[in-house]
Amino acid sequence: MSQYEKEMVRVTEQQHATSPTDSNDSYCITGIEPLDRKLGGGIPLGNSVLMVGSSGSGKTTFCMQFLANGARKGERGVFFTITEPLFKLTKNMENFQFYDKKLIEQGMVNIIDLRIISDRLGLNVEKYSVEDASALLEVLKDIADELQVKRLVIDSITALCYRLESDEMIRDFIFKLGSSLAAMGCTTLLTSEIPPTTSGELKYSRYGIEEFIADGIIYLSDIDRKGDLIRTMQIVKMRGTSHSRSKSAMNISSDRGIEISTLLKSRG
Amino acid sequence: MENTLVQGLKERIANASFTNPSVGIILPGSNYVDLTHAVYEHMRDTSSNNWIYVTITKPYHVVKKEMGTILDTSGIFFIDCISRAAGIQTMDPQCYFLDSPAQLERLILEIVHFVKNQSDKEKTYIVLDAVSSLILYNDEILVTEFFTHLISNMNLFNAHTISLCLEEEMTDQMNKMLYLKNDKIIKVKESFI
Repeated sequence: MSQYEKEMVRVTEQQHATSPTDSNDSYCITGIEPLDRKLGGGIPLGNSVLMVGSSGSGKTTFCMQFLANGARKGERGVFFTITEPLFKLTKNMENFQFYDKKLIEQGMVNIIDLRIISDRLGLNVEKYSVEDASALLEVLKDIADELQVKRLVIDSITALCYRLESDEMIRDFIFKLGSSLAAMGCTTLLTSEIPPTTSGELKYSRYGIEEFIADGIIYLSDIDRKGDLIRTMQIVKMRGTSHSRSKSAMNISSDRGIEISTLLKSRG
Repeated sequence: MENTLVQGLKERIANASFTNPSVGIILPGSNYVDLTHAVYEHMRDTSSNNWIYVTITKPYHVVKKEMGTILDTSGIFFIDCISRAAGIQTMDPQCYFLDSPAQLERLILEIVHFVKNQSDKEKTYIVLDAVSSLILYNDEILVTEFFTHLISNMNLFNAHTISLCLEEEMTDQMNKMLYLKNDKIIKVKESFI
């Protein structure tokens, strides 16, 4: 166990000293230190978390880093991509220190193009029927079960929901997916694409449903400081943990990946 | 011929930074060259320490050239806050180029990253040249907040800071901040030079 993991266990023990039912195994450590600290140890195990942000906000990088950090701890993960071809996805990750081709070769991080699965299932229609959605859900659960993954990512849930015909189907799909994976002890990140906000009105998903079903919301955005966009990250919601809700500054370092620091609050 | 002002400044910097984790140096702009010269000489004399030099007043390539006439710069890591903002697009593995001096959180992250990766054997020093120049790109309250966070972080990692400040760029709030946050202030008055 690394020094950092020991520290996270200590933080978890302190935070849950009054809750004997919780164990140290009840958190999924993201490996992004300040975030884990803000979460009181990590994401509660089995939670499905919406990673919300506009294009270029760092959702995909965050998710890949989450999987790679887990793989290094022996937790297998799977990344279902809908929006980006596999070769492009891995190419974009190559410069990051967290990315290691061996993790993919060893099957610790699995990257699967969901469009290929849909095609194989014969789901090459514009909109999925209830049966189609159910078949897709079963395949996702089977893959997660077969690979015995502890971390799962769908990038993006917005693109997937686009194919679902009604709000009820979206609600049902996310709920069933989340609860099945939670039963397997699998922690899930669902990326949610939203347009940049100009009116100040906060919206965490395209269809306005995803955020109510998800156990957690992590919101990636920007603040404008004299023409410079400063990346920010905020934990809006995380069931099962007492977490900080203050905005942090986020950086995507070309080699170190996602980094979090204190946001200077005085607006320049 | 030895410059007595530079020697005097160097001694004051050496004495102050030996015992104080954070040192602020305020002096008139007309003596800025002497001050940087004194800092470079101090860096040369204590080259076994880990040094990080943050350039806010002049671009990295200018500072490195000037510094190179006094000491071997190969062991120093630089952070350049202004080249990118000025449209200078050079790359150098010895320097991290910040997109803009307004990215203060990123500046803290880069400094902390450097400090974390240094061995405990020697002290780590950070020179901010010049912290007062940040005010040209940021509101003074933001610079105050930045400086407070930076000093707190550096205390956490037992790293030392030497913050250069030009008298002409100073505001009342910055002045207060420097006196409050630094363990030692060296104020050079023109009349004493």
